[in-house]
Amino acid sequence: MPRVTIDDRTVEVAAGTNLIDAAFKAGVHIPHYCYHPRLSVVGQCRMCLVKIDGMGKLQAGCATQVMKDGMVVHTQLPEVKEAQQGMMEFLLINHPLDCPICDQAGECGLQDYAFKHGVSYSRFQFEDKRTYPGRERIPLGANVLLNMNRCIQCTRCIRFTEEIAGTGELGFFHRGARTEIGTFPGKQLDNQLATCVVDICPVGALTSTRFRFAERVFYLDKRPSLCTGCEVGCNITIEHRRGVIKRYKPRFNPEVNDYWMCDYGRATFERYRDVPRLAAPRLRHAGDIGGAAAGTAGAGTAAAAGALPAAAPVPAPVSWKEALDAVARHLRSRSAEGAVAFLGSGFLTTEEAYLFAQLAELAGTPHRAVAVDHGPERRIPNLQGGIAGTEAAPNRRGVELAGLAAPAARTAAARAAAVPVGPAQTPPMGTPQIVVPGAAGAPRGGNGQEAAAGTLDAASLLDGDGAARCAVLVVCDSDLGAAAYDPATVARLRRARALIVFGWADSPLAQAADVALPVAHHAEKDGTFVNVEWRVQRFERAFPPPGQARPAVEALSELLARFDPHWANLDAPAVFDLLAAELPAFAGLKWRELPATGAALAVPQAHAAPAPELAAPEDTAVGI
Amino acid sequence: MAFEPVLTRNVGNPAALTLDGYRKGGGYEGLAKALKMEPDAVIDEVKRSGLRGRGGAGFSAGAKWSFIPKGKGKPKYLVCNADESEPGTFKDRLLMEKDPHQLIEGCAICCWAVQAATTYVYIRGEYTYANDVMEEAIKEAYQAGILGDSVLGSGFKLDMYMHQGAGAYICGEETGMIESLEGKRGQPRVKPPFPAVVGAFGAPTVINNVETLANVPHIVTRGADWFKSIGTDEKNTGPKLYAISGHVERPGTYETAIGIPFAELLDLAGGMYRGGKLKAYIPGGASAAILTADQAGLALDFDTMIKAGSMLGSAAVMVMDDATCMVRSVARLAKFFNHESCGQCTPCREGTNWMELLLDRIEHGKGRPTDPQLLRSVCKNMNGTALCALAEAAVGPVDSLIKRFPEEVERHIHDRACPFPHRRYFENGAA
Repeated sequence: MPRVTIDDRTVEVAAGTNLIDAAFKAGVHIPHYCYHPRLSVVGQCRMCLVKIDGMGKLQAGCATQVMKDGMVVHTQLPEVKEAQQGMMEFLLINHPLDCPICDQAGECGLQDYAFKHGVSYSRFQFEDKRTYPGRERIPLGANVLLNMNRCIQCTRCIRFTEEIAGTGELGFFHRGARTEIGTFPGKQLDNQLATCVVDICPVGALTSTRFRFAERVFYLDKRPSLCTGCEVGCNITIEHRRGVIKRYKPRFNPEVNDYWMCDYGRATFERYRDVPRLAAPRLRHAGDIGGAAAGTAGAGTAAAAGALPAAAPVPAPVSWKEALDAVARHLRSRSAEGAVAFLGSGFLTTEEAYLFAQLAELAGTPHRAVAVDHGPERRIPNLQGGIAGTEAAPNRRGVELAGLAAPAARTAAARAAAVPVGPAQTPPMGTPQIVVPGAAGAPRGGNGQEAAAGTLDAASLLDGDGAARCAVLVVCDSDLGAAAYDPATVARLRRARALIVFGWADSPLAQAADVALPVAHHAEKDGTFVNVEWRVQRFERAFPPPGQARPAVEALSELLARFDPHWANLDAPAVFDLLAAELPAFAGLKWRELPATGAALAVPQAHAAPAPELAAPEDTAVGI
Repeated sequence: MAFEPVLTRNVGNPAALTLDGYRKGGGYEGLAKALKMEPDAVIDEVKRSGLRGRGGAGFSAGAKWSFIPKGKGKPKYLVCNADESEPGTFKDRLLMEKDPHQLIEGCAICCWAVQAATTYVYIRGEYTYANDVMEEAIKEAYQAGILGDSVLGSGFKLDMYMHQGAGAYICGEETGMIESLEGKRGQPRVKPPFPAVVGAFGAPTVINNVETLANVPHIVTRGADWFKSIGTDEKNTGPKLYAISGHVERPGTYETAIGIPFAELLDLAGGMYRGGKLKAYIPGGASAAILTADQAGLALDFDTMIKAGSMLGSAAVMVMDDATCMVRSVARLAKFFNHESCGQCTPCREGTNWMELLLDRIEHGKGRPTDPQLLRSVCKNMNGTALCALAEAAVGPVDSLIKRFPEEVERHIHDRACPFPHRRYFENGAA
């Protein structure tokens, strides 16, 4: 591989590597605007001019590739610095002094390079700046606004829509100093990745309508996390101010979403703001309206019990201890007339699903289901041909592998350690089996029993009369999708004799519950998700949950400890290590050793795309 | 001694517009002769002749042809640059309007030499008449078997198309032209790769000016030695068209041996307009540095001009008398470059804009004492930093204004007004 010397540092790079990328590898930062590792090279901004030995004039670094040994590059010579100052001056003469009102302030390419490579005074004093009258706030589509005065004509947005999104809505019009960006006649910037142009625009010419004027970026706390919009599992940065999320930005992961994320995913944090929060545990007692039996292995047919009148008041808050005690009582007191069922969602982390599965094992029930909504396909381009998903939740695969859909293959040791807490559950006969799409294999009963046809799955619980057969129905996520807000579905689920709901959202489902347990949403907890390509990715919490809410892993650990003390005091990393030791798909993985880009699981369906060989910078914007 | 016209020998002879008329004067003999030579031999002959590009850069035409890779890999193209948008240039128009077959023959010989099967003549959109004349001549050429499946029966296939531009000077830049030819926005590409390797449609492409190609039939017919015998020295050879305009009695296109001293050319054009006094002249189009009256004896060839700090360029000679305001002239040129900049790269887009604003300000009496230094600094930041040569071209006249006419600039600033009144040409109905 050829070696190149940049400012007395020598690196070896693959032949054909762009000089800006090679310099990055050497630890030298060549300033640039129009260059982007995923876009074609145009050499337009002229910010990356460097001196290469053997060539008289300064050369554009982005237009130069390292092909052979012996290239010597200088970026700190006076002539290079003067060229950089010259380019900064040129860019600033017609740029409006919008910093006080511009979203980009604090993460602006012009600000940063003016500071680093420019001069502190202006010589453009007696002329008028070139403006685009009437083009100061043009909606290019629903999500992107254009202020043409601020544009530095780097054409990143044009090349993005042409080459990455493939839709080509944007173009250059007119010529010279009047050149402007716009959509071609009749077109709107409305592709799935439209807001990515806001990320890659170095200045505040393109802004997101969702984030416009929402917050100064230097007040934002930025935490890495994962998007929960769909099964692709784009890596994101949660940008929040004291627990109020202001925006999501994509985070570079060359093996999943590269530099991009879709507009739908960007909007998913708004749910946390718009949906009311379950703030404290709630417990409906035996004397409450509706007569839902609390805790006794009571009489009464499952069909007659449980239905609440529509106007039942929400019960008063109680302490966590009381709430967990109530749950434990429900689980211990299973009656012969009803089943115990667990209904999870694709939003649970793998660790939560694992602990719920343990609960199901202890309760000896095979009735475990996952409810996942389907949406339109979200497709994110990357170097492996793209990644796409239609499930509208991030972790259906992780939840199923962890045991919530079908009892996981467990080692003999784990099986032996399980402590049965009541008579073995015999699933009711005669109920037709409806297979949830994607569920792996036929469900097996707890304690080694072969499950017969007739386990309660998501379809029978949500759309059928499965809940009526339940003595205890544990809904693991109160925001499990559209169903949690549909009164008819909630009424069906309410037919369980005891309805226990864990969740962050105070959805109608949580309000109908006998025990409602407030837990953290994904920005407030640690966990892992398994994406559509069977890659497990780790995320950590951005801020603590409010009120009495706690991460579900914590609550479940406490709950499980009431049955078996060895489950006490577990956090997500510890649970991950436990489940990795037990589940073959996760063999050999440890929380602390999970790679930043995620790890491929050992399942036959996993896509075996190799990680790309890259020397590219990790950040999405100007390269700062 | 009077110069015997070579390129303009058919001007004034309308019969030569037709194929028969052209042939009667010896036309297409060059093509016939070339087809019997090896393609490389044709390239060598053109190289030996010392023919340098007549479009502005003055690069050896034969050398450019030799850069085209041999072999069957990709189709080769010839693009004839008939965009002629350099201010003051109107020589190619004459060639196309008055002797279209000469250009067709030159293109055909070039295509044989580089083994190109297709020629596109990129003609500026404003030359509608020249386009019509060329289209007619091409049609005739096809009918006579000079273009088409078998040029003059040789088996060599050649197609020729006219392609009209739409009013952009930047489409005269070779890669801008190729982009426009491909149907895209006419903005120049990053070089390397050069058009000889990756040109039109990704294939090796030769781009030559109209006048350059018009010389080719004569080189083949009469030989490189004959061509070399015309001109100043072995690096500046052949006949040259000079398009002289400005304050001269008879502006127009004149053909002489390359290297005619400016003063002689001025005489040919009838001398200064109304007997005025020469102040300055631009030898080669808007991008060339301005030369002063004491440099009137200089030979108008490539190397003499370069040595004098200017360039021959497109040989568009613009003459200015002493009632001319240099600041106003250069301000107008700066306005041209600002208008024509394609806008992709920062130094040109912003620099040409700034230069126009600065010069306008100075011309209208609002100049500041720091302005000359500022102009020089802007020029320095534009030189060598831009994506194509338009920025350097824009710098040419401004730089020479500051260097050669500093006292005029100072006077504008000091007097807070332009000392040169606007001329009235048509007072009392007189021309």
